[in-house]
Amino acid sequence: MTDAKLSARNVSVFYGATRAIDDVSMDITRDEVVAFIGPSGCGKSTFLRTLNRMNDTVANARVEGTILLDGEDVYAPAMDVVELRARVGMVFQKPNPFAKSIYANVAYGPSIHGLARHRDDMDRIVEDALRRAGLWDEVKDRLDASGTTLSGGQQQRLCIARAIAVDPEVILMDEPCSALDPIATARIEELIHELRGRYAIVIVTHNMQQAARVSQRTAFFNLGRLVEFGATSDIFTNPVEERTKDYITGRYG
Amino acid sequence: MTTTGLLFTIVGLALIGWLSARMRAAAFRRPAIQRFGSLPVHHAWVVALWVLGPPLTFLVIWSLTSPALVTDRVLASPLAAALPASAFERASILSDARALAQGSGGVFHPAAVRLAPAYAAAQRHYDWLASAAALILALAGGVFAFVRVSPAFSARWRLENGVVLLLLAAALVAILTTAGIVGSLLYEAARFFAMVPAIDFLTGTRWSPQVIDPADPGASLGALPLFWGTFFIGAIIAMAVALPLGLMSAIYLGQYARPRTRAWAKPALEVLAGIPTVVYGYFAALSVAPRVRDLGLFLGIADASSESALAAGLVMGIMIVPFVSSTADDALRAVPAEMRDGSLALGATPSETIRHVLIPAALPGIAGGVLLAISRAIGETMIVVMAASGVATLTLDPFASTTTVTKQIVDLLTGEAEFDSAKTLAAFALGLVLFAATLLLNVVALVIVKRYREAYE
Amino acid sequence: MNSAAPLAARRRQRNAAERRFRLAALAAVCLSLGFVVFLLGTMAVEGARGFVETRVTLPIDLKAAGLTATDGEARFAAAIDDAATRAFGRNGPACLAEGSWMHLRDAVRQDPALLVRPGSIELPASSPVDVAAKHDGTPAAEAAVARLTAAGALSRGIDWAFLTGADATDPVRAGIWSALKGSLLTLTVTLLLAFPIGVLAALYLEEYAPRNRWTDFIEVSINNLAAVPSIIFGLLGLAVFLGTLHLPRSAPLVGGLTLALMTMPVIVIAGRNAIRAVPPSIRDAALAVGATPVQVMFDHVLPLAMPGILTGTILGLARALGETAPLLMIGMRAFIAAAPRGFTDPATVLPVQIFLWSDQIDRGFVEKTSAAIIVLLVLLLSMSGIAIWLRQRFEARR
Repeated sequence: MTDAKLSARNVSVFYGATRAIDDVSMDITRDEVVAFIGPSGCGKSTFLRTLNRMNDTVANARVEGTILLDGEDVYAPAMDVVELRARVGMVFQKPNPFAKSIYANVAYGPSIHGLARHRDDMDRIVEDALRRAGLWDEVKDRLDASGTTLSGGQQQRLCIARAIAVDPEVILMDEPCSALDPIATARIEELIHELRGRYAIVIVTHNMQQAARVSQRTAFFNLGRLVEFGATSDIFTNPVEERTKDYITGRYG
Repeated sequence: MTTTGLLFTIVGLALIGWLSARMRAAAFRRPAIQRFGSLPVHHAWVVALWVLGPPLTFLVIWSLTSPALVTDRVLASPLAAALPASAFERASILSDARALAQGSGGVFHPAAVRLAPAYAAAQRHYDWLASAAALILALAGGVFAFVRVSPAFSARWRLENGVVLLLLAAALVAILTTAGIVGSLLYEAARFFAMVPAIDFLTGTRWSPQVIDPADPGASLGALPLFWGTFFIGAIIAMAVALPLGLMSAIYLGQYARPRTRAWAKPALEVLAGIPTVVYGYFAALSVAPRVRDLGLFLGIADASSESALAAGLVMGIMIVPFVSSTADDALRAVPAEMRDGSLALGATPSETIRHVLIPAALPGIAGGVLLAISRAIGETMIVVMAASGVATLTLDPFASTTTVTKQIVDLLTGEAEFDSAKTLAAFALGLVLFAATLLLNVVALVIVKRYREAYE
Repeated sequence: MNSAAPLAARRRQRNAAERRFRLAALAAVCLSLGFVVFLLGTMAVEGARGFVETRVTLPIDLKAAGLTATDGEARFAAAIDDAATRAFGRNGPACLAEGSWMHLRDAVRQDPALLVRPGSIELPASSPVDVAAKHDGTPAAEAAVARLTAAGALSRGIDWAFLTGADATDPVRAGIWSALKGSLLTLTVTLLLAFPIGVLAALYLEEYAPRNRWTDFIEVSINNLAAVPSIIFGLLGLAVFLGTLHLPRSAPLVGGLTLALMTMPVIVIAGRNAIRAVPPSIRDAALAVGATPVQVMFDHVLPLAMPGILTGTILGLARALGETAPLLMIGMRAFIAAAPRGFTDPATVLPVQIFLWSDQIDRGFVEKTSAAIIVLLVLLLSMSGIAIWLRQRFEARR
């Protein structure tokens, strides 16, 4: 696991007595986009949320196996979950900006981590993040407007800007386009292309075309198991597993 | 040192701790190595909490125990040898001395004047001890926390735990209050029952606390007439008014009224719930009671009282109307629409549907609401204090004068009596009965309402 | 059809029953609302008189009396008695309120010319005259009013002193400021204690509390405390704050503590509902950028829940403001002739003042009681108004 940014070893997740993820192992490198696909309830979102320990907030969730970020055990007692989540950012299915100004939305992460010493530093960080999220030109004149006044697609890019403002190493995206129209979706996909190489990106999607468009490698989940994980082109043109083939050709899902 | 001065000093120390910890943490923080580690401000708050927490906790506990310590010290002094042996007199002299020592004295007992300096001295002695202990705790806490400020120290999570502790402490205030109520009622009631047999109190029919025979206090402290009066006014007369008015109002507003009517009539009805009870009491005494008495005389009831159960009960019933109507409204609305539609589809009229389908289905919810309303009515104080009589009678006549538990508690405790006489302690025994009764009603009501909600979910 | 006739008759009967039922329901609403109107109306009519004072214009010539501005009470009082006897006969002095000499002293200080030339001064009428002038009083007072009216000396004005004065044994001099200030001090203590403790407890129960027996116990305690009769809190205050802790009797501090224990459960319940209404996605968003649970709580959850918490707090405080019984228990029923200056001074509160005045035999206190009730109701109404406004603003935003 030399160049793996994130690597999972025999990871299982339980909700109470129910096994939601069953013995999943995979490596994700620092400069690729990995897509998770699979039918609803296959565990792909659950697995995504175990990567930055967002499952900690669910009372009866339990994780077995190890997840390593740069070789550090994410679930080790010494791991500071706050630091972990700052290093592994997340974008959610439904855009969820804070009911604060656009500026405050982006500045929140840097301010709680004390990343800016002066107001000027902060201005630069906010502008930088908004530029990288492709939102700067649209909002530069109204940074004081509430984040909730933006359109859905803009809100989602604001959430991406918020995530990259703390300069994470990995960004997890949980079906980031499922609540957006096709034009906004295209804009986000373009953005993912631009962000590739700078951050390792993991994206969960329902939309197989999207997976094919944005990712280099694709993982197919079914019933809590990792069925197949390989180069996106292989998965979509020449899957090894019968189940993968059935799913991507639309037999079920 | 005065309390305020002490508090300011502690807060000042906390501020110093905050600033110095922040400076220390800012010096070793290297952004490049620990991008997401604890911030200087986290270290600062941890130190500040260590300065504030121990002395403040100590002072709270101290304030609960120190009065007893002070009294003991005064009693141990040679001056106290001259005190009378009677516990009553002793307590009253001590309380006068305390008042004098605190500079708020009013009643001058000669012995108290002599004892006051000793009291002040004892007070000073313990105040000094407490101040010193609090300051030492503050300093010790601050130093302990300050030496732990280091890059490896996870101040953010320590702070996190400190805040959670604070939240927990706030939540525990609720338990402390409950414990305080139960504890003080039980303690004072136990002292009462040591003087008066419980059986006399609970089943005796003669209540005249003005003249208590010291040899047999139970003979004039039989509370049965009070229990009956409370029940008669709160559960019978008030409910006879509130139940029909409240239920029918809920039916009209919930089932018949147009949304616009409902939108203004419901809040208007709730105005009744917002009027202070002292206003109801005044109204009952000023406007309702004389009319009720006139009505009684008109009906040929010779002993119609101007402090009748009926006047207090009527006004109390009006006060409870919004309470009954809102719980009844909730209960009626919780009945699934299919049940109502089914009845209407059979050709039943709205009133038939309400009477034969909705009310039976909503009955548990309505019953729960009525129990809660009764619990509120029997605990209501000001209306009966102002409109009901002080004379305890076991009577079924609504025009006769009747008294209640709450009215008697107020009467017993607002005289100039000794704090530990049978008379004042009787108020706590009454309070205990009242507390137990309302608690029981609330619990039963909640259980009924909960079961009812579950039935339709 | 044979059965049509009985069926139609039966339908008529059923429709009539429907109308009767509906009418009964409407009558219940009207009766209840009618009572609101009747009660508020009675108070308004009675209370409006309490804000009006009857004044007597007294012709006065101080030159003859040889008064100076620095004289004491006795000389001023004598001068007034003298003038009143001269103007209105033997019963003249009795027509003026006690303490009229202070008005004269103030008038003289403001306009020293009064000392040297004849003039006239408006003084508040005594309570029997005031009562007789407004409606029917005692025969003697009615006669005095007739005499004064004939002399053209009676007038009416708004009694500003009612809002600024303290309690007094003479109804025309009684004011509510001391009680109002007592209420203010008491509620300040209540707010300072109940708000932070209530909000923190609500946060604990919603954001941290594990599901176990202890938490259940805390919850049951809070829900029950909200339903415990207020007088029980008075007993608690008497036994613990006065009996055990020896805090000063009749003080706003103790009243505020007692009411805080009563108000806290209300704030906790309102607070929990408001906190529960904050969408979980906001919590996720903050956690995902590396906020700690406490940061999530104070930076995001609390600001969003604040309008709901404030609404509950205001309603809880309004209830505390109208509360009487527990304060009677801890001795806040003393006669307070001067406004309290601090949290440990003996004080009374507005509802208790109403209760005390309602017990007075003097007829003049009837309208003062109603006037005090009006002040109390106006305060409560504006508090509920603010609460409703907050709630609506909050709902509109979401």
